[in-house]
Amino acid sequence: METRDKIIQVTDLEKHYNFGAIKALDGVTAEIDKGDVVVVIGPSGSGKSTFLRSLNLLEEPTGGAIIFNDVDITKKKYRDESGKWVKVNMDIHRQKMGMVFQHFNLFPHKTIMDNMILAPVKVKKVPVEEAKTKALALLKRVGLEDRADAYPIQLSGGQKQRIAIVRALMMEPEVMLFDEPTSALDPEMVGEVLDVMKQLATEGMTMVVVTHEMGFAREVGNKILFMADGKLLEQGTPEEIFGAPKHPRLQEFLSKVL
Amino acid sequence: MDNFVQIENFGRIAPYSQLFVQGVIVTVMLSVFTVAIGFVLAIILSAMRMSNFCPFAFLGLDKEGHQKERGFGVALSKFNPLSFIATAYVEILRSTPVIVQVAIIYYGVFGALIELPSFTFFGFIKFERFFPGVVALGMNSGAYLCEIMRSGIQSIDGGQTEAARSLGMSWLQNMRYIIMPQAIKNILPAIANEFVVIIKESAITYTIGVQDIMSAVNAVRGATFIIIEPLLVATAIYFCLCFPTSKLIAHFERRMSRGDKR
Repeated sequence: METRDKIIQVTDLEKHYNFGAIKALDGVTAEIDKGDVVVVIGPSGSGKSTFLRSLNLLEEPTGGAIIFNDVDITKKKYRDESGKWVKVNMDIHRQKMGMVFQHFNLFPHKTIMDNMILAPVKVKKVPVEEAKTKALALLKRVGLEDRADAYPIQLSGGQKQRIAIVRALMMEPEVMLFDEPTSALDPEMVGEVLDVMKQLATEGMTMVVVTHEMGFAREVGNKILFMADGKLLEQGTPEEIFGAPKHPRLQEFLSKVL
Repeated sequence: MDNFVQIENFGRIAPYSQLFVQGVIVTVMLSVFTVAIGFVLAIILSAMRMSNFCPFAFLGLDKEGHQKERGFGVALSKFNPLSFIATAYVEILRSTPVIVQVAIIYYGVFGALIELPSFTFFGFIKFERFFPGVVALGMNSGAYLCEIMRSGIQSIDGGQTEAARSLGMSWLQNMRYIIMPQAIKNILPAIANEFVVIIKESAITYTIGVQDIMSAVNAVRGATFIIIEPLLVATAIYFCLCFPTSKLIAHFERRMSRGDKR
């Protein structure tokens, strides 16, 4: 049996608005191991995206804990072994979590190359030449090495999303978060983005993916989380979720999307 | 009834043309210094307004260091004194007439509180009148430019910040490399407009005796009892100052936007 290294442990995560009148996340507990491809599915408004965005604190949860690399990142500061208060530096943790957005969020005023090398050069202080070599290698992998000097506006949606994925990879993250990466794409472009994600998964990258692509969930995911109304209603392997769904909400959801 | 404009009157005010030349120099200098002061002030103010400086943040945390959800402490923890001061400044300056502000700075601040050395530079500009005028106009345009900058920065899609922060960039790095380069392009037309407004609004300083173009008009009127013709001269001068300015900035604007729309 392979050893399981826990990367992220989420406990009772809550996100409340208006002092609890609206519960976007209502006590979500989940764990993500090294090498996992966790796929989060569920109807819209179920809190999938909020859950994912909470993982790197783009949304600040109002309760619960997210243990990432042995640090509870939901706390602004914590006491170390000697009892000293240590501030949680979110920028450091975010470097280890790559994120891919629904609307790509490439920087429109920079070329593809500059988009990719900006964070490594400015944040990690990687030498420019080294970053460029690495960027070219990554661009080659997604078949876009000839577009290095183009601006994002000149690319198609699928190309933009592939760039967004390799831009996040430039920081050598330990885990990649995908927030509906194919939802804003034309149907014929979905495949090229999913292919890149599949390739990443086979290389052993830890991934958390929020998506409506059930085919991808079944084929690539090794753990499926089903969310509705801010709660995690069911989790399991793709066989369990798609083969023998237990919760009535999940059965209803699957009957609509499959 | 007389004609609206009598051509021979232009000949009668011609001997006073030196006053208009001096007026143009003063107006241009007023505008340049005002823009400089206003710009620096606006950068400071908009940074204050958008800052995240909450000295009472600890009141909103519970014993474990979590953010609490409700209570007096939470309200107090979100109080940002820098933002409050900047907002108050901007709202007060924008909600009162410039002519009042100029008078208060000249008669109040520099009349009673601070004594300025009285000397003339360029041979005719009275420093003790010119300086308060620049300060008052600069403070006023700082408030307007602050709002332009803030709205420009906040008009950038939030996804840009999210992408930058998710790559591990700090707040400052995000501002410097991602937000500002895009925001400056967006706010250039509004800033150009504000520059033109400053040139025109500097006319108000003639009320405290700054010898700008308007004061030349009044001097000529006092000496010759001719009113319409000097006003027309002033109109032409202001137009010749403002129109090229806005055209020049429009030119830069086109050059800057060349990069992103191909």
